[in-house]
Amino acid sequence: MSPRLLLLPALLAVLPTTGRTGEVDYLRAIKPVLAERCFACHGALKQEAELRVDTVALMIEGSNAGPVIAPGDVAGSYLVDVLTGAAGFRMPPEGEPLTDAQIGLIRDWIAAGAPAPEGEEPQADPREHWAFRPPTRPEVPGVGDPEWGSNPIDAFLSREHERLGLSPLPRADRATLLRRVALDLTGLAPTREELLAFVSDPDPDAYARAVDRLLQSPHFGERWGRHWMDIWRYSDWDGYGSEVRESQPHIWRWRDWIVESLNADLGYDRMVRLMLAADEIAPDDPDALRATGFLVRNWYKFNRNIWLDQTVEHTGKAFLGLTINCARCHDHKYDPIPQVDYYRFRALFEPHEIATDRLPGQPDTAKDGLVRVYDAHADMPTFLYVRGDEKQPVEDRPLDPAVPGMFGAALEIAPVVLPITASYPGLKEFIRREALASAEQAVAEARDALIAAREKGESSAEASTPDEADAPTPIRLAEARLKAALAELESVEARLAADAARFAEPPDEERSEVLALRAGLAERRAALEKARSERLLAEKSLADARAALKEGDPATKKAVEAAEQSLAEASKAVEEASKAIDGPLPSDYSPFAPIRPRTSTGRRRALAEWITARDNPLAARVAVNHVWMRHFGTPLVESVFDFGINGKPPSHPELLDWLAVELMDSGWSLKHLHRLIVSSRAYQMRSSAPLDHPNVATDPENRWYWRMNPRRMESELVRDNVLHVAGSLDPMLGGPDLDPESALATARRSLYFRHAKEKRATFLKLFDSANVTSCYRRDVSVAPQQALALANSTLSRSQARVLTARLIEECGGDEDASFVTVAFEQVLGRAPDADERDACLAYLREQADRLADPAALSAFDRGPEPPVMPSDDPSRRARENLVHVLINHSDFVTIR
Amino acid sequence: MTPFPRRTPRRAFLADLGMGFTGLALGAMLHRDGVARASSGLDAWAPPDGRPHFEPKAKRVIWLFMIGGTSHLESFDPKPELNRHAGKTIEESPHAGVLDSPYTQNVRIAVPNDANGHIRHELYPLQVGYRKRGESGIEVSDWWPCVGDRVDDLAVIRSLYTTNDNHGAQLQFHTGRHSLEGPFPTIGSWVHYGLGALNDELPQFVVLGTPIADCCGGMNGHGASYLGPEHDGVSLAVDPKDPLPFAAPGPDVSHEEQADSFELIDRLNRISAVKYPDDAQLRARIKSYELAFRMQMSVPEVVDLEAETAETQALYGLDRDETREFGRLCLAARRLAERGVRFVQIFHGSNGGAGAWDAHSNLRSGHQRLCTQVDRPMAGLLTDLKRRGLLDDTLVVWATEFGRTPGSQNGDGRDHHPFGFSCWMAGGGIKGGVVHGATDELGFHAVEDRHYVTDIHATVLHQLGLDSRRLEVPGYKRLDIDHGKPIAGIIA
Repeated sequence: MSPRLLLLPALLAVLPTTGRTGEVDYLRAIKPVLAERCFACHGALKQEAELRVDTVALMIEGSNAGPVIAPGDVAGSYLVDVLTGAAGFRMPPEGEPLTDAQIGLIRDWIAAGAPAPEGEEPQADPREHWAFRPPTRPEVPGVGDPEWGSNPIDAFLSREHERLGLSPLPRADRATLLRRVALDLTGLAPTREELLAFVSDPDPDAYARAVDRLLQSPHFGERWGRHWMDIWRYSDWDGYGSEVRESQPHIWRWRDWIVESLNADLGYDRMVRLMLAADEIAPDDPDALRATGFLVRNWYKFNRNIWLDQTVEHTGKAFLGLTINCARCHDHKYDPIPQVDYYRFRALFEPHEIATDRLPGQPDTAKDGLVRVYDAHADMPTFLYVRGDEKQPVEDRPLDPAVPGMFGAALEIAPVVLPITASYPGLKEFIRREALASAEQAVAEARDALIAAREKGESSAEASTPDEADAPTPIRLAEARLKAALAELESVEARLAADAARFAEPPDEERSEVLALRAGLAERRAALEKARSERLLAEKSLADARAALKEGDPATKKAVEAAEQSLAEASKAVEEASKAIDGPLPSDYSPFAPIRPRTSTGRRRALAEWITARDNPLAARVAVNHVWMRHFGTPLVESVFDFGINGKPPSHPELLDWLAVELMDSGWSLKHLHRLIVSSRAYQMRSSAPLDHPNVATDPENRWYWRMNPRRMESELVRDNVLHVAGSLDPMLGGPDLDPESALATARRSLYFRHAKEKRATFLKLFDSANVTSCYRRDVSVAPQQALALANSTLSRSQARVLTARLIEECGGDEDASFVTVAFEQVLGRAPDADERDACLAYLREQADRLADPAALSAFDRGPEPPVMPSDDPSRRARENLVHVLINHSDFVTIR
Repeated sequence: MTPFPRRTPRRAFLADLGMGFTGLALGAMLHRDGVARASSGLDAWAPPDGRPHFEPKAKRVIWLFMIGGTSHLESFDPKPELNRHAGKTIEESPHAGVLDSPYTQNVRIAVPNDANGHIRHELYPLQVGYRKRGESGIEVSDWWPCVGDRVDDLAVIRSLYTTNDNHGAQLQFHTGRHSLEGPFPTIGSWVHYGLGALNDELPQFVVLGTPIADCCGGMNGHGASYLGPEHDGVSLAVDPKDPLPFAAPGPDVSHEEQADSFELIDRLNRISAVKYPDDAQLRARIKSYELAFRMQMSVPEVVDLEAETAETQALYGLDRDETREFGRLCLAARRLAERGVRFVQIFHGSNGGAGAWDAHSNLRSGHQRLCTQVDRPMAGLLTDLKRRGLLDDTLVVWATEFGRTPGSQNGDGRDHHPFGFSCWMAGGGIKGGVVHGATDELGFHAVEDRHYVTDIHATVLHQLGLDSRRLEVPGYKRLDIDHGKPIAGIIA
């Protein structure tokens, strides 16, 4: 059976199990083929040749050329002719022709009189699709079970439980619950102390207090930051050697902005607006500008079209759950998005570019900087590409920026006049201050060097040899350096003064012109002094090289030639600098930063405001679905990035809409949404039931949430918690991306390691770290390489030993039985069962015996040495190995 | 050393737990991993069950890939017209028409303003002679004497084309998509995904040699993309001391204590399995630890070539400096294949960049040297597979990302040539001693039986008994061109 068939669940639902053969054949064998291959152009979305084939009646009604099927008359059915090509052309025009078998079935069905199912409904108007209409807050249903009535989430779920006769599982035990919610909200398992305190806390609000505490933890932002980084396609720079080909260096500031914004509970709407248009909304706020990393991330060295295609695709998928990208080469096959709308959407981004702004204390933006976007090309036209081919732009029809027309929204695009320091950062106070300070420092250093040279020159005057006599003396060199530094200082001062006049309010044009001249001239003088100083240095190098010249040593001869060459170049530079001084007056001087356009088009701001407007049908639903999935393990809308017609319908449409409206009404507070979800009774259910539980027969996939879903930790959590349970995790937040090669040796959280298409930490990749190209939902694999990583890595071996030492120190090490208990509590967040304790105790005894006889042991002869070696004491080493076993326990990586 | 697990026969134990595992085939057990991975939603869709869709001709694949672009003109596609018109431009030759072909429009520029990746107009004569080889009399260049001896086992395909003018074509040859479209599942990962394991002690998709560099696809060249990392190719070094990441713990651990630990992990997980009988991931994880434990032993063993006779080692050229390195990869590939690894992908010519075969200049000396490195080992591999009866169900593929221009570059080299080039296949139900397809008289365009790279994928899958359309994953729409068509003319 083709998976495509499954796109029509509604159809399958009405399939008669028994019935007339003709009817069954049409629904099973014919309609799915027509839906797959024909409906896009001959259905509700489009009616090419005025033809629809989405019901039998419509086929008989036919096209502008008449009926396309004649029941009972295969030869008279035009449909068959176009499918076979006998008509002189073939349908469908794209892709493979229908197979002979498929056409044969259609013939047979027509020959049998083309029987239609009763009451066959045509496709609905795509504009009426549920997700394209704004959500309204549904009424919360009343439910029978009072325990399931207080949280609206429970009420919506409970109504379906009652309808289907499902009995939801009881609450999970407290230890499981605390571990679940702690890992969900902060990504860090509770420590043993936290666990014991919670389990014995008689306060009925203990759980609510734990939730509050976790939501306030700075690690909440790290945990959910990584989730949103998946959706927003976070990627550190990628490339070949040091060449940047995708994304940008320093983009980690965007990651830090995500973490900080989540911790501060910045509204989701505000986050989206800043990611798309912080340069227009908060142009002078470097903290907010970090958010535009969302766009910077799409930067692609080789092809602007690819860059913008990615931007369009993932803006659509991430914020709107809309596959606009499907309309790049042709009209969308399912949603009412014509191809031209794709390019209009692209036009919203057409003017934008990236830049790296200076940050205080670091003039070199290659070393550090703020990478952000700005509008560089307000007039850049956008053209439709025929069949998506960039070589075929429709140049006589430039397109205006717009969101897809089906939403009936006209964007209010107004240009944004930027503050002057945003378009010309050279006016920023710190840049002016640092320019002056660095010039002054150069003068001071040159002056000190001259004093030192003079002192030394007096004491060693007679030591000079005849050869060196020709060379410039250290004093002359130092004098030239000081002259150059002074000239540069004057030049900087003149440029600063000129900038101040040029951008003064109100402007003083006459003064500005004179000061600009003066700055330009000062700059030339500084250039000349610098060139002279460098020429002198070249003379000195040449003299040194000549002095070192040795007969028969080609290296020294080469050095002399090179020095001659350098001197020639330095002399030429002096000549040119002199010529410039004597030349015509300068028209300008060098700015302290790139000068960018004074206005931004406002296109992205308009888009961002439309996305986050109260009546946008998609933004809140899509966000709520993502958050829900990451708490429950499954989403309410299965197709998390496609809420369109080809996507899956929500399992709980009213719950989804209620949550979407609630999110918006709370001021788009994500923390409010998290609290609501984790406080629900549904969230607190057990995650496992006996195989013969009656619910299993009704709902084996748990689509109706009668139990919690157990989940495997994401790759970051696996690594983080190995460190965390051992007490080794470095809690430091934020900062530059770390070398992925150091992931086993560095105790920082996993989201800080460089993560790009071709740069990922091996340990993290093995546990399914995010696919940077697109990761709206993480994969979860189970593979032997994961077992090898947890069993054999230096990380897990070392941390097991570190933790063992801690547990023995903290809890005393007298009895194996109590050690087993504390080890379970610390690593797995629960006490051991009797079976488990017995197995562990037997293991400890056997291991200790075995380890007591080192001669009988054969060590591995390969693999790296870990930073922490095992204990020499056999029983202690046995305990280390037990802790290591628990780190490899399936329950360690499982969130139950 | 104590084997693991040693106490409870696993199947009996599972049966006791009532987990319903008994009677399930190994492949089906493994695909539990996949169930766990995709267990979401109402779909009745299920991942492949490890069984072929129809009667297979081959069980496994050895895929040899030359990085940089081997010249088809100096290997398997002789073009005397190049000698006849050497020095003339294409326009001056009688074959000027090749430049007007619409095929030249199919290529998408990957690296704008690159000095390479252009049509070269001044025809460059063949740098090596050809002679007829074997019973079939197929012409093979003199740089491939040993492979030439085996030509009666080969189906030479002379009519490939691709659409990338630059080395992203390396990625493309493995995914079927232009590199500008990003990573997609590679052919090896499709095979692994579709068929799973023949052997549960080794990774099923193995990569030997240094993979393609970051410039040209990096690890995506053997990646599984959306199929999930368990289907990624696993890079093995032919070094028993350090064959794969985390293959061994290190000298601080003894075999005996580790065996005890794995056993305890197993015991504890089975206790949890009683508590959580509905946890499919847990069951898969129990299995994965068993596999992992065995892989620790079996992986170093399989790459230990000392176990081979001197005669066999010599067959692969291990006794010669120039062929030793690649010979080791080929011999390891045979050892992997005979132990049931599904797909072995061998790379040759990594140089950290575009690849050693990228002969923009010094083609004659460069190709001669590189051919020497691989010719004897590849022929040795074919001979060895055949004499062991493995060639019947082992498909060997030799490929490269594109050919080289009929025109000269830098006076003594050839540029990238995506419009027409060659590869060959052998064994696994492929006809031997046949030539399929042809380029025009300059070796410029593939003109007869043209094949895009995915036709190679389709042929591989077909021989393995797989229908790529039945492997499609919901949510990841594949295009017709992604599937390709099996090359019927070379299938025995």
